[in-house]
Amino acid sequence: MPEAPMAEMAFKKHLKTDLFPTIWCPGCGIGTIMIMLAMVLDEMGLDETNTIIVTGIGCTGRMGSYMKYESVYTLHGRTLPVAEAIKAVRPEMHVIVVAGDGDTASIGGNHLIHSIRRNARVTVLCNNNEIYGLTGGQTGPTTPTGTKTLSSPGGNPNTPINLQAIVRSSPHAVYAKTTVYHQLHMRNVIRDAIEHDGFSLVDITSQCIENNGRRIGFASANEMLSFYRKTYKRAGKGATSLNPFEIGILYPTTDAAASNGHATAAEPERPSALPEQPAGPMTSATASPGAAAASDDTRALRRAESQQRAALMGQLDRETKLRVAKGDLTLAEAFAQAGLEMPESLRTGASAPQAAPAPASAPAVASPDAKEARRAEAQRKLALMQRLPSELKLRVAKREITLEEALGEAGIEPDGSG
Amino acid sequence: MRKLSQGNEAIFRGALAAGASYYAGYPISPSTEILNVASGWAAEHPEFRFLQAEDEIASANAVIGASLAGAKAFTATSGPGFSLMQEAIGYAQKVGVPSVFVNVQRVGPATGMPTMPGQGDVMQVRYGSTGDYTPIAFYPNGVAESFQIAVEAFNAAEESQSPVVVLSDTFVAHLNEVVDLDELAESLEIVPRALAPLGRHDPGEPRFFAGVLMYEHGPNAGEPATADADEYLRQYYEAKNRHMEVAARHARFEHGWNVDAPVLIVCYGIVSRVAAPLRDEYALFRPIRIHPILGDELRAVADRYEQIVVIEANDGQYADMVELAVHREVKRVPLLGGRISLEAVRDGLERVLGGGPSEPPVPPAPTERAAPSPLGIG
Repeated sequence: MPEAPMAEMAFKKHLKTDLFPTIWCPGCGIGTIMIMLAMVLDEMGLDETNTIIVTGIGCTGRMGSYMKYESVYTLHGRTLPVAEAIKAVRPEMHVIVVAGDGDTASIGGNHLIHSIRRNARVTVLCNNNEIYGLTGGQTGPTTPTGTKTLSSPGGNPNTPINLQAIVRSSPHAVYAKTTVYHQLHMRNVIRDAIEHDGFSLVDITSQCIENNGRRIGFASANEMLSFYRKTYKRAGKGATSLNPFEIGILYPTTDAAASNGHATAAEPERPSALPEQPAGPMTSATASPGAAAASDDTRALRRAESQQRAALMGQLDRETKLRVAKGDLTLAEAFAQAGLEMPESLRTGASAPQAAPAPASAPAVASPDAKEARRAEAQRKLALMQRLPSELKLRVAKREITLEEALGEAGIEPDGSG
Repeated sequence: MRKLSQGNEAIFRGALAAGASYYAGYPISPSTEILNVASGWAAEHPEFRFLQAEDEIASANAVIGASLAGAKAFTATSGPGFSLMQEAIGYAQKVGVPSVFVNVQRVGPATGMPTMPGQGDVMQVRYGSTGDYTPIAFYPNGVAESFQIAVEAFNAAEESQSPVVVLSDTFVAHLNEVVDLDELAESLEIVPRALAPLGRHDPGEPRFFAGVLMYEHGPNAGEPATADADEYLRQYYEAKNRHMEVAARHARFEHGWNVDAPVLIVCYGIVSRVAAPLRDEYALFRPIRIHPILGDELRAVADRYEQIVVIEANDGQYADMVELAVHREVKRVPLLGGRISLEAVRDGLERVLGGGPSEPPVPPAPTERAAPSPLGIG
């Protein structure tokens, strides 16, 4: 996967800059998402003749009015039926839905699960700010447990909806998670999602400082972004699911064990006990869902390769990394200079194996066992973090207290049910 | 070719003749045959797109999306589903989305009597969504007319740039009559699409289709007009005048039977068929374009009659509209609970013309177990 180019002003031609400033509050994350989307559209060579933007109601919904695209600002929650029908009538167009978490997962939740079931060939960018911002800050479907909002002054008693699980309930859909802090990552996953020939959803954690952040203890949008930087980590190579604080992209899986017990992207097998359906007018007109699988495999390989590249980059010092990013040095040259050994697959340009082993000879890298143990420990901590009320989570993230102290304060047993 | 055709099927065939290429729907009695026929057609004609949606909210919004993308699009449902569609219908009114919504009525409210005919949604069509708008709606009373009205509804939708409603009822929908739909399709006038499809707008700024009030022209174009009454008035009356002008072009009604009789019966849909054996004794005014009400046409004939009686399968919904239109008292014969029969019409006429009340006598509580009812599918 090629790295996205540095921020260029070319994206501006996709925006109605004459309508700026936008209605969004200072510090809001939606503007960043819009600019990242515009950059990706520019990079992919898309424009108003081949792409349609469909938005929902809420702060996020206003994005369509600032983009130089033919755009439908739908009713609250109704983006997906509108988008799916547009795609059905105009299959040659890219249809991109931009909506908030409330629009996508609450009022539009039923449409979401069914558009996923039908593998609607649309891309959803979900501005997930964990709050109903436009109406002042009420609990949304993705608001974390315990968060105090205008409509849950005692803390949200409910478990947030699991968008990843909903999207991954289909063997054909792509789920990506990113944050407004991780802009390059956001651009990469938005592009990958648009390229996917099937349903894709990019779940973008984003800051609403005015109507959520300040109430839960952040002093500024910057503080929220820095919280994302500290909290969210890139998922490991070949991850088949993402932890709540991991960012990454999950492609349709061919691994039956990892697919929620669902049929895999390959043509599902028909139980032989079922009678053959009669041919003729009763036969359904739906397209075979198997078609997308081959291209997804190639993409998964490409992804594994780029993840491996990123891991290798991580072993270089900052200056060398910069020179590689600028193209002054190839990765292989950088490794040679640093006295590190590169895996065969990258040196020859062949596709990386799907589960590429960590380069064992690299002195700075821990042994696979130790790495595995660290990873398990990190996952355990993340799971514990999840159970904390958001105030405590925040204090742990700010390193004011340790996780153990926070657990003690919340009365949660680290290995019990608490 | 002359052959036995069903009312629901005729609506679908009419939509096809009008150029429809998108159908979205959700199964609901007694409209389901339209969905079935549409899916069968789509299976054999890939250019015709079909969506069985998760609910009527999705159906209605999919129709909006398909229409904006350039397809003549429609959906069909019954009362409960039509209630779910009201929000989208309001959106289509506000944005100006040419589209057709078919409501095959049964007895409500709620799940009510799913397999029995009713006309209780006549005013839901007029006022069902939020805010002010001027819907155009038609109501045929037979198979051939269902076909013609489907075509006319699509034409009116294109001309008015608005969602147009076709009302039907269980009986009209399930009537089987020998008609030649091919012949009917020969001499049709089809109004082509005027609205440029999404992504094909040329030249000028890309459009932003919004349910919220936006400035469409002038120095503020593209900005919200959410607190500007002047802009509201400009857009509201532009749409209303356009709808009224198109409605006037489609002012379809039937004034007939014994036009010299002293009593005028106003009825529509299946009631006009059931009451037809009374043709020698009464005059008939049957609105086919049922909304906006045919005020001028009604007033032009009303003075010739001593009495006006509105007979309908609801509790006087349209009678109120007729009374307002003709500025005089009209009598009401409500045919409730799916009992649309000549006997009920005769009894009702006798009662109200004899100075009795509109209400039919309410039967006493049963002492014996009633015959099992059809279950119907909600």
